[in-house]
Amino acid sequence: MNRKLGAVALVGASAVVLAGCAGGGTPNDTPEAAELRVWLVGADTPQEARDYLVTTFEDENPGSTLVIEEQQWTGLVDKLTTSLSSNDSPDIVEMGNTQAPAFTSSGALLSLSDIEDQLGGSDLLPGFVQAGSWDDTLYAAPYYSGSRVVFYNTAMYEQAGVAVPTTLDEYVSNGVALAEALPGVSGVYFPGKDWYNALPFIWENGGEIAVQGSDGTWEAQLSSPESQAGLAQVQELMTKASLAPKDGDEAEGWVPFRTEQSATYSAPSWAYWSIIADEDQAATPVADITGYFALPGTEGGAAQVFAGGSNVGISAKSQNPELAKSALEIMLSDEYQTILAGAGLVPAKVSLGDKVAAATPELAAVIAEAAANAKLTPASPNWADVEAQGIMQDLFVNIANGGDIATLATDADAKITDILNG
Amino acid sequence: MTTVTAPAASASPETAGPGAREQSPRRRRFPWAPLALLTPALIMLVVFIGWPLVQLIVMSFQEFGRAQIFGAPPGFVGLDNYVAVLTDAEFWAVLARSIALCIVSVIATMVLGILVAVLLTKLGAVMRTAVSVALLLAWAMPALTATIVWGWIFDTQYGLVNWVLTRVTGTDWTGHSWLIDPVSFYAVAAIIITWGAVPFVAFTAYAGFTQVPDEVMEAASLDGASGFARFRLIVVPYVRSILLVLLILQIIWDLRVFAQIYALQSIGGVRAETNTIGVYIYSVSMASGDLGAGGAISVILVAILLLISGSWIRTMLRQEEQA
Repeated sequence: MNRKLGAVALVGASAVVLAGCAGGGTPNDTPEAAELRVWLVGADTPQEARDYLVTTFEDENPGSTLVIEEQQWTGLVDKLTTSLSSNDSPDIVEMGNTQAPAFTSSGALLSLSDIEDQLGGSDLLPGFVQAGSWDDTLYAAPYYSGSRVVFYNTAMYEQAGVAVPTTLDEYVSNGVALAEALPGVSGVYFPGKDWYNALPFIWENGGEIAVQGSDGTWEAQLSSPESQAGLAQVQELMTKASLAPKDGDEAEGWVPFRTEQSATYSAPSWAYWSIIADEDQAATPVADITGYFALPGTEGGAAQVFAGGSNVGISAKSQNPELAKSALEIMLSDEYQTILAGAGLVPAKVSLGDKVAAATPELAAVIAEAAANAKLTPASPNWADVEAQGIMQDLFVNIANGGDIATLATDADAKITDILNG
Repeated sequence: MTTVTAPAASASPETAGPGAREQSPRRRRFPWAPLALLTPALIMLVVFIGWPLVQLIVMSFQEFGRAQIFGAPPGFVGLDNYVAVLTDAEFWAVLARSIALCIVSVIATMVLGILVAVLLTKLGAVMRTAVSVALLLAWAMPALTATIVWGWIFDTQYGLVNWVLTRVTGTDWTGHSWLIDPVSFYAVAAIIITWGAVPFVAFTAYAGFTQVPDEVMEAASLDGASGFARFRLIVVPYVRSILLVLLILQIIWDLRVFAQIYALQSIGGVRAETNTIGVYIYSVSMASGDLGAGGAISVILVAILLLISGSWIRTMLRQEEQA
């Protein structure tokens, strides 16, 4: 009880202090000056972009301040559900593109139709506009996209005598060969919860997560023979090529790669910066020996990979919708999006696509190759619930632990079908 | 005080007198003072527990999904949520797991707590202070922080436990995941829960032990009772009520445990196989956005906890009557 009281007192005290800070501005301008809270998720948005957003916003809206509060990807759907419905809602929130339908369909976000043209209109990434729209109204604008790229340690590949794979089968056999040739090193770093990286194996073998019938009902497909073939490849990699924790997640997966404990690492393209430099911006041992390729498909060429990325919307409960819209326009401005492109993210505007190329030429070609073949999770507003319950993560943790694929896939199918059909 | 009226005059003063005196204050004055003293606590209870509880019960009879969270009007669906929950095999599995974890944690906590309390009675001042400080630190550590630290201790790659086991046994434990197997997951969870709960039991039991009169103990030892016999036959009966309260509080706390399990799940393990009732309610309500079903499960849990606390209150009342 005492600890609770103390916590309440502390919250109260900090509220008073914060209120004091907010009151410090001069509230003479229109719209009324206020503190705008922006939720960015993970470390994906580079510091340069954050600084640009804060200074530009505060220049354009004198007296107002903008605070960026960084959130974690883990548990984001739960957190957005509680915070967006509370009276203490943040003003602008970033969310994963696959999670967006849960919020656009439930009235959690403000309609952006009135500023859609200012945000970029038809120049915005079409797939992400679709993910952020409900009933033909845009609620969550595209923020950035990024496809997964495979990074590899050229020295280790040379030492183990394997070449860059041209097919998915070769990617798997290379991974196992690397792990055998290099004791204590992961051929492919593949923790059990990293389900995004497992999806291409399902898709490339002709499987799907779920398909929608003509009557609108969903049917999960993970136990189809095609999907199971893909899951078997994933199991081969996770059990024979990877030393990553079987129940670990993909967060900070660049650490084993840059400390030379893993030869291959598939990650969003922006992970490049964390591979070549550590937290203190010092060059890592792999800075000069890191190569990259797009995950190869079954028949060669680039595999269909998961199109990760984010949407960004304004809370329906925002106290400062006008300020929030002005901040959102900054986040989708050419300048801001160019900074994102410079960090290896695919910008939200089609016309800025070549800016990625300007940032890192060789990598850009690989990103473009992967992005051209990118694919999404089932387009159902209930898909976010599948993610929030961790069903895909549980499935692959069990697969990494050597479980029986047919049984696990059938169980997961039953759950996913149930959730998608609400 | 008041003059006795006509009928009393005819009756004998022995019988009428005390009766009239007993009744008169009640008739004349309502006891405002106790009520006034209770009011702040009552207001707190009604506002922070009563009202949410009413809302929870109402919600458990409604269809209350994500759309309703964001403002759509909820519709009543009768007992649908309860039927759905009670016919769901997962709910029963979760409940069984929670009870099993609760039993193990409570037994471990009580045994260790009482042992530490006995230890405290035997120690000298310096060591007793040292143990007390150590216990206080464990007690003061928030559950979430403690779980993260324990998570590091049991870390798959860099954990202390795997390192020590590798050193001691000679086989390579690096890469052994302690959380991937549900039983092992619960073992780790039980360690964390017990670790956090032992100080409270130890301090409270120690406070009880110090109340046992020394003369009685001395007399028993003169009669030739061994240490264990003295503890079992003299100390335990003296502090039985304290131990019973501790036991019931521990059962309630461990049955609804949330932070430790939720944080451990974010570190590793398979979520579907490691949910306890508290985490399951959160998962159904928040992650799946189905507050109706979550509400129904919560009401069921409240009912179970009320049964347990009911027995506690009954025992307390019985003891007061005896006293």
